[in-house]
Amino acid sequence: MSEKKYTKDHEWVSIENEIATIGISNHAQESLGDIVFIELPSVGNSVKAKDEICVVESVKAASDIYAPIDGEIIEVNNNLENDAAIINQDAENEGWIFKMKISDSNQYSELMSEDEYKQFLEQ
Amino acid sequence: MPINYKTGIINEHKNVRNHSGIFDVSHMGQILIENNESYLHRLEKYIPLQLKKLIKNRSHYSFLLNNDGGVIDDLIISNIDIKDKSYLYIVYNASRKKEDEEIFMSCAPNAEIIYTKNCLFAIQGPDSIKVLKNIIDIPDNMNFFDILISKYNNNEIIISRSGYTGEDGFELSIPNEIAENLITHLLKNENTMLCGLGSRDSLRLEAGLSLYGHELNEKITPIEAGLSWALDKERLEDENLNGNKVLTDQLKNKLSNKKIGLISTSKSMLRDGMTLFDNNNNEIGKITSGCFSPNLNKSIAIGYIISEFNTDNPIFCEIRKKLELVKINNLPFVKKNYKKNGSVYE
Repeated sequence: MSEKKYTKDHEWVSIENEIATIGISNHAQESLGDIVFIELPSVGNSVKAKDEICVVESVKAASDIYAPIDGEIIEVNNNLENDAAIINQDAENEGWIFKMKISDSNQYSELMSEDEYKQFLEQ
Repeated sequence: MPINYKTGIINEHKNVRNHSGIFDVSHMGQILIENNESYLHRLEKYIPLQLKKLIKNRSHYSFLLNNDGGVIDDLIISNIDIKDKSYLYIVYNASRKKEDEEIFMSCAPNAEIIYTKNCLFAIQGPDSIKVLKNIIDIPDNMNFFDILISKYNNNEIIISRSGYTGEDGFELSIPNEIAENLITHLLKNENTMLCGLGSRDSLRLEAGLSLYGHELNEKITPIEAGLSWALDKERLEDENLNGNKVLTDQLKNKLSNKKIGLISTSKSMLRDGMTLFDNNNNEIGKITSGCFSPNLNKSIAIGYIISEFNTDNPIFCEIRKKLELVKINNLPFVKKNYKKNGSVYE
């Protein structure tokens, strides 16, 4: 699997064979607090980077999840439907939210590396 | 006061329902007003109680009312003696300090604001009494809404058996110098923990209790908010009471809006400000508070709908541009668990 990259909206993306796996960062999980519900995106939808595609609801607030890059949603993490708190426990692995077939790998290269994301959080 | 401490809102919430939790509510207003007939008479213009007849060592839930009977603030007012002098001790909302204090000072110019020198903490939950009794003397016959002066390390603290979670519990007004010691002492009990604003809100919402700025504001009367039990009926006849005609009229006639409790039928969260519709897409009301209920494992809400709406019909809530069915639920959502005469809030 490729290096994990991050967006300014606190999503992480990793890519394997042109399939991107996307979730929210551990930092995002911490600031949202207890996550109780996720409205998953629809499989088959084609989306553009920055589109709002699903919603994470924590006890505190609802928070939109954006598509990090262009592509088609091909799979969602159905485990989250019954237990959205998996994101709190393991945001950057078991708590993945959806997978996309991506159309432009340049968009991926432009995202932040883990170190760059850490710096971004410190700003 | 943070939204939550390390273990999160849900854990704090459950700890209060099952054991106990401690809230630092020092941001709230606290004032002492001398129990003097002319001060009480002036205050009775705003407060719908017979202030001269308040029983010593008891607290009352009440309001400051404006000319139209709208709620300037909701507050807890108690009659206590401090150093042999009789006072009204009032605890009021932080967000309304300016408005409230203007009234208090106009009625009693020597009123003493004490939140600068006293912290306010609430310990809430079924084990509160056990945890507190370890370090402070609490009489066995102390009931919900009783209030007294007790001592910790020779310092006087004001203790009331009250709170805003629907559970048994206490509020402690503690001199700043000893507050940290006292709370650290309480926290030595491993079943209690500090809790934040997030669980304070979900606990009070489950208990069906109103929050200023949400269910209550200057345009809503206590009667519209379903709190007419807190009004002294004799005082409603008194022309000295602000809004007495409006209130008397509302008691006799039908109200235009009613307060309701709602439960989500899906996993979506109901939140403050969302709009409610009937099955013909007509707007019938709004949600004033909504949250996730850890006890029911569903989202719950309080809101207002127009009185003529027949609640046998379905209600829909607009959540992110979609209409979702919600169910009416009697308030409170979770049974209150007060010591003895738990009728204080009902």
